[in-house]
Amino acid sequence: MDKNFQEEFTQITKFQPPLYKQRYQFVKDLVEKYKPKKVADLGCADCSLLWTLKFCSCIEVLAGLDICANVMKEKMHVLSPLPVDYLQPSERSLTVTLHHGSVAHKDPCMLGFDLVTCIELIEHLEESELKKFPEVVFGFMAPSIVVISTPNSEFNPLLSSVMLYRHPDHKFEWSQAQFQSWALETARCYNYSVEFTGVGHPPTGMEKVGFCTQIGVFVRKYPQTESVQSEKPTEAVYKTVFKAVYPSLKDEKYLQNAVIGEVIFTAQSIKHRLMSKRKEYGDDPERKSKLQPSMDCFPDYLGKLVVEKNMEPFISGNEVYIPLATIFSFPKVNRLCGTFEKLCQLIAGKVTLSSDGSAVMFNIEHENEEN
Amino acid sequence: TIGLQVSSGLQDLSLRDRGGRRRDFHDLGINTRQAMVHVQESKTGFSGKMIKLTTNHFRLTSRPQWALYQYHVGYSPEMEARRLRSALLFQHEETIGKTHAFDGSILFLPKKLENKVTELFSRTRNGEDVKITVTLTNELPPTSPTCLQFYNIIFRRLLKMLNLQQIGRNYYNPSDPVSIPNHRLMVWLGFTSSILQYEENIMLCADVSHKVLRGETVLDTMHSIHSQVGEERFRDACAKELIGLIVLTKYNNRTYRIDDIDWDNNPKGTFRKSDGSEMSFVEYYKKQYNIEIGDWMQPVLISQMKKKRGNIQGSVALIPELCSLTGLTDKMRSDFNMMKDLAIHTRLPPEQRQRELGRLLNYIQKDDNVQKELRNWGLSFDYKSVSFTGRVVQGEKIFQSGAMFDYNPQFADWTKETRGVPLIRPVPMDSWLLVYTRRNYDVANTLLQSLFKVTPSMGIHMNKPNMIEVDDRTEAYLRVLQQRITPDTNIVVCILSSSRKDKYDAIKKYLCTDCPIPSQCVLARTLSKPQTIMTVATKIALQMNCKMGGELWSVEIPLKQVMIVGIDCYHDTVAGKQSIAGFVASLNPAMTRWFSRCVVQGRGQELVDGLKACLQTALRNWSKWNRCLPSRIFVYRDGVGDGQLNTLVNYEVPQFLDCLKSIGTDYSPRLTVIVVKKRVGARFFAEIGGGLRNPPPGTVVDTVVTRPEWYDFFVVSQTVKNGCVAPTHYNVIYDTSQLKPDHLQRLTYKLCHMYYNWSGIIRVPAPCQYAHKLAFLVGQSIHREPNMMLSDRLYYL
Repeated sequence: MDKNFQEEFTQITKFQPPLYKQRYQFVKDLVEKYKPKKVADLGCADCSLLWTLKFCSCIEVLAGLDICANVMKEKMHVLSPLPVDYLQPSERSLTVTLHHGSVAHKDPCMLGFDLVTCIELIEHLEESELKKFPEVVFGFMAPSIVVISTPNSEFNPLLSSVMLYRHPDHKFEWSQAQFQSWALETARCYNYSVEFTGVGHPPTGMEKVGFCTQIGVFVRKYPQTESVQSEKPTEAVYKTVFKAVYPSLKDEKYLQNAVIGEVIFTAQSIKHRLMSKRKEYGDDPERKSKLQPSMDCFPDYLGKLVVEKNMEPFISGNEVYIPLATIFSFPKVNRLCGTFEKLCQLIAGKVTLSSDGSAVMFNIEHENEEN
Repeated sequence: TIGLQVSSGLQDLSLRDRGGRRRDFHDLGINTRQAMVHVQESKTGFSGKMIKLTTNHFRLTSRPQWALYQYHVGYSPEMEARRLRSALLFQHEETIGKTHAFDGSILFLPKKLENKVTELFSRTRNGEDVKITVTLTNELPPTSPTCLQFYNIIFRRLLKMLNLQQIGRNYYNPSDPVSIPNHRLMVWLGFTSSILQYEENIMLCADVSHKVLRGETVLDTMHSIHSQVGEERFRDACAKELIGLIVLTKYNNRTYRIDDIDWDNNPKGTFRKSDGSEMSFVEYYKKQYNIEIGDWMQPVLISQMKKKRGNIQGSVALIPELCSLTGLTDKMRSDFNMMKDLAIHTRLPPEQRQRELGRLLNYIQKDDNVQKELRNWGLSFDYKSVSFTGRVVQGEKIFQSGAMFDYNPQFADWTKETRGVPLIRPVPMDSWLLVYTRRNYDVANTLLQSLFKVTPSMGIHMNKPNMIEVDDRTEAYLRVLQQRITPDTNIVVCILSSSRKDKYDAIKKYLCTDCPIPSQCVLARTLSKPQTIMTVATKIALQMNCKMGGELWSVEIPLKQVMIVGIDCYHDTVAGKQSIAGFVASLNPAMTRWFSRCVVQGRGQELVDGLKACLQTALRNWSKWNRCLPSRIFVYRDGVGDGQLNTLVNYEVPQFLDCLKSIGTDYSPRLTVIVVKKRVGARFFAEIGGGLRNPPPGTVVDTVVTRPEWYDFFVVSQTVKNGCVAPTHYNVIYDTSQLKPDHLQRLTYKLCHMYYNWSGIIRVPAPCQYAHKLAFLVGQSIHREPNMMLSDRLYYL
């Protein structure tokens, strides 16, 4: 179900940016502030909040849960990695999973999260579900932070078209006092602290109505302990409907590919430069004059570096040797590998090296023929 | 009317399926065969040896009495937003079922609802009650065009379910890429697919496709261009290399074409968002996608967007740093080493190709969700590809000056057989120029000596040329040409020291327009290897002879008073988006001489107007050569894109007929128009010795995988060293020749033997290849119509 519809329709002139965007922005700001690694969105619907969050670089695990599998499936593919994610794997790892299930049930896949968001969720819960909700989220999942947003019924008279509730599926809509007393009681019961805020400012002069959307931010007061988790049941009740593992340099396979690619490319460009330099001293006056004023693709520091004898690339017969030390000095290679040993380990057997393994070797015999 | 609604509804449906466009790529619903009485009963030939073939087509099967039910869905009160319409309708899943395809107004279901009109009641979030009326409008049999489009949409759904990534029209598997670090390339294996009604069955035609992706951003590429060409030529070089390329972005799953580079803009520049507010690119990407743009000085790429509705043109600005290149540039294509490294991965031999394809079908067969979706729609596939018999027609005899040669069908080449045999019509080189730079003096002499060795046996009389040394500058070459060409000059040979295009272009332009003289440019490098110099000199001698109006060999053409026409197009994507059509028509009964013209299409002009004029002059020239008008005309029309068949049938052919009518009231020749297509999805494999091989040249297929509504056939005419041979598709869209299919197929195959730049069989009839050559030269180098003085020679070879 699309939770953003109603306000979009009636309030488009009133809230800028639209209220749902303000709610997402609120979550994003929270993520920026606390830098959680694992985030779960309960009642994720068409995954639009999850899609927004996948761009937050601190998040390594994203999970969504919804009672309706169809609504998740409709747009879940926006959570898949893009072609470019495969072409240029990112530093961080990221796994996105969607589960089909109810917030009234416990499932071990929801354990260990840093942040759990429940944006416009609780007002859709039946009384029996709402009763179980605190135990599942605060007692069982027990993340460091929980965000809960819900409509503020005191604001409703200001929304022209709202009859009873803002959405026919809403089971209730709370006033500020109702929400706050529920939240305070829940926080007390599960040892969390809670602060209240919201998005969608009331018009001037009517401030006491409060925000259009009220939000409670719950922070766990005790540290996560291993023992608590081990007592928990392990039976899975949710059904996984989607899982995407993003390519990451943390994965040795992608790291190796990236390093090999970068090493060969760097070595090739050094070789290219070396060869064209050699040609410059040749008999082609046109080429020489053309080359001189051009910007050099190599940073200045390389010029200083290659002064050291052992790092100088050289040509011997039909072979060009480019020392690994030189290649390692390039920032991109350096950043990828971290240490020289790691570099050697990753390219072993994949890149043709000199007999002592200290330099990348190219055979240029056939190239001369073709060019 | 309902019919209209159906098609417009489906277009929306395919639009929603990403990448599906409004154009109908399969040219559905164009029935050209019904107008040709002589092929009504049968369009198959009979000559040749039978050969067992398998293909890459797979039968689609459906339950008996299967039908697709089409409903119109109305809302009261009217609901605008499509998503809202869907949401309201799908509140009634218990009625309409879990399996459905809905585009906002047209609903497809695999089942028939109880009543013709079903009324459903939903409530919006605003508490508004809505009445939904679902009315059955059509019960579609499996073979209806609407159903075919529908199958294709469903199949794309399946590929998406298999987690394949869509790039452009095809789907690729990102999880198992091949990387070629030497060139910073990555190759993804993927599949092309289309489901169509073929001769007897609806089949899936699937083929392996490779997507070349580049592991660098556009900004990286710009940096390396800068280091190669320097500041001065940087912007030009960027435009040349980048414009027209397709890029992927870091943040969404769309592809964009680079149409321009805005050098006056940079990431700090602002743009107007849809809500009217201004925002800088830096700020936008940070806010929207949490992406920090590193280089704030880079220019901005511009991509033109064609908005489908209302034809509004808009443009999108892209940041080079956030874009990755796909595909190959012309420069990369001309890089021999790169193409060699790529070919290892992309040129799959028949066995391997079928194996990869088997993997796709295996995924489909093994995936539970995919199988469930297929079951729900009542559809399934044969997982074994279709097998049938084709025919290999007899090889042609090559005639050259009274001698007759056979060629080895395995190689489809007669270079060896005809070596040292006089040409049909050698043209003497009494007066000619040889232009070279000082550095290439030796090379020029080597060429000259070699030419003196190879020309006598061909029957070419050659005098010593006028040897001219020039500076290695374009102006120097041009000055020499202006001063030294005389009315007697037969041909000009220029030895160039580099493959710099501007010099070549300038020489060709001058010698094709202002001063119409045949010319031959040779790269010094090609002459530098002693072991190949004689082969090279032989080829150059033959090529020059053709350029001066000579004739090399012929095959037997049994038809009399025939004019053969070949047409191909070149679309200039960079400069001005000009289109050029090459038009080549035979002049003599042996098909050894050709009349060539081209049409340079200006803005807002129709190509066909120019083609009409070409046909007129071709007929005039033919009658000059033969002292009568041809009684039969065959037009081989290449360069027709997917989805353009309609235009050809309804516009171009009538124009040709018009043109013939205008020649004279008593002139009514028989006309045959054949659309030639080189890029087809079909592949054929010969089952030989328990394995799969490429079918031999001369293989003709006119059953099973052809289309029932067309008079069409496939011919495999060429051979390939690596990979799979691609058959050429011939679609006869108009034919009053009364010729049997067998004869038309044979004529087509014969014409594939007549291309003088290759002593072997080629993929298309020679006039198409000539037309291609001509259009390419004009499009790449000359940019206007060449001088008519040259039109009776193959000066563009």
